[in-house]
Amino acid sequence: MADDKPDIARWVDEGAKAIGLPIAPEYRDKVILNVERSLAIAQPLLALELDDELTPLPVYRP
Amino acid sequence: MNDVLSKSATASEIARAVMSGKVKASAVVDAALKRIAATEPAVNAFTDIVADRARQRAAEIDAGRHLGPLMGVPFAVKNLFDIAGLPTRAGSKINVDGPKAARDGALVRKLEAAGAILVGGLNMGEYAYDFTGENAHYGPSRNPHDPSRMTGGSSGGSGAAVAAGEVPLALGSDTNGSIRVPASLCGLFGLKPTYGRLSRAGSFPFVDSLDHVGPLARSAEDLALAFDAMQGWDPDDPVCTDRDVEPTLETLQHGIDGLRIAVAGDYFARGGEPQCFEAVAAVASALGATRTVVLPNAAAARAAAYVITAIEGAQLHLPRLRARPQDFDPDTRERFMAGALLPGSWYVKAQRFRRQYRAEVLRLFEEVDIVLAPATPCVAPKIGQVMMTLGGVELAVRANLGLFTQPISFIGLPVVVVPTRKTGLPIGVQVIARPYNEAAALRVAAWLEKQGVGASLTA
Repeated sequence: MADDKPDIARWVDEGAKAIGLPIAPEYRDKVILNVERSLAIAQPLLALELDDELTPLPVYRP
Repeated sequence: MNDVLSKSATASEIARAVMSGKVKASAVVDAALKRIAATEPAVNAFTDIVADRARQRAAEIDAGRHLGPLMGVPFAVKNLFDIAGLPTRAGSKINVDGPKAARDGALVRKLEAAGAILVGGLNMGEYAYDFTGENAHYGPSRNPHDPSRMTGGSSGGSGAAVAAGEVPLALGSDTNGSIRVPASLCGLFGLKPTYGRLSRAGSFPFVDSLDHVGPLARSAEDLALAFDAMQGWDPDDPVCTDRDVEPTLETLQHGIDGLRIAVAGDYFARGGEPQCFEAVAAVASALGATRTVVLPNAAAARAAAYVITAIEGAQLHLPRLRARPQDFDPDTRERFMAGALLPGSWYVKAQRFRRQYRAEVLRLFEEVDIVLAPATPCVAPKIGQVMMTLGGVELAVRANLGLFTQPISFIGLPVVVVPTRKTGLPIGVQVIARPYNEAAALRVAAWLEKQGVGASLTA
């Protein structure tokens, strides 16, 4: 549904304010593009369901 | 046997010649410095050359000091490794204004303790957030096999310096593929060891959860020689393993008997150009590997590696993004800024998934010892190229050169890239082993080299 699509420009503007990261107007379009790309690339991860028992490893050992 | 003063000489050949007194370390270093001066205009591999230091070290070796298995071998390091007295650039302009390194990075010290001689620091993509080898501040490193093409990155200078024969050995770092991509595109052997196997102390970080360091060279023997010299616990890197050193050189020529070898299917068998799959098929056929295995959820693993990289990398650089955004490379700046805005829930999910994927892949490694996969989805793109076609789909070069490397480093498996080259531009194959079994991957690489299937030639 079109309504479910996030407004990425707003995400970038408000998120940058929230973390105190000034984004100059000349960088803004590319930041938006990169958040859009990240959203697309992250999909296979976001689509997974994980068991509640699956916690992150406090120290990662291969 | 190559002339040890020529560009084709390997580290092992040089060390043997210096050890036996056939050639002076000083002559080897002078020859390397001359080659670097002559070759740099074409390949742009170095950002720093430490000629005086190298000559002094060589003179000390010739006077009987620093005896070791890498005696007299000139090497260079990606400029995120500390070099005493120099700022640690990490490919950036900003770090040049920072402090100068008080001492060499851990692996530089280990290689020099084994008799090797540091000759300089190497070009790289800014802050290692790169698969291309391009850099707005220092210019792109250029592929010695065709200087109009990328080296791959982010260890681009490391790929260029070794493939051009400036030095036989270089160090790189690999978070998502930054050793393996340049090894593939420049036609080199490259080792990304198990996560935590080699100390990262004294190197500028990128993504602590995924950062690895390792060597690039023109033979499997040189990788083993350097790897063995660099192994060992280091309290200065909290991730560094306290397992015993497991030497790989002594078993290097044991052949492939007893190794169960399979080809990675599914995710690793699509989304690339035909050359990358032909390279895997040629290697599999030489090894008699007929079995195909599936690494479950590899696409999610790639996504998770991407998310961890974007968020950890951005968090590391947030103070610099606030204070000096204009001094970043335009090709990293907005990617870092975007990473700073991604949700924390993505990050934690990626870390939770890493545990699941690790367990699934380790189960697979109960049935096989080695898995083969493409290293890059294509041969070296042109410098400046933004988009490429992979398997009929138009994709961004930057985000996708590491498509096949990311799901492997995500859980820290050791990999040796074996260069294959029939004609034209080189392309590599990943020889992947279970954690801490670098020895098996190196054995396979050495065997393929012996059969003439894997070969690394200077340009």
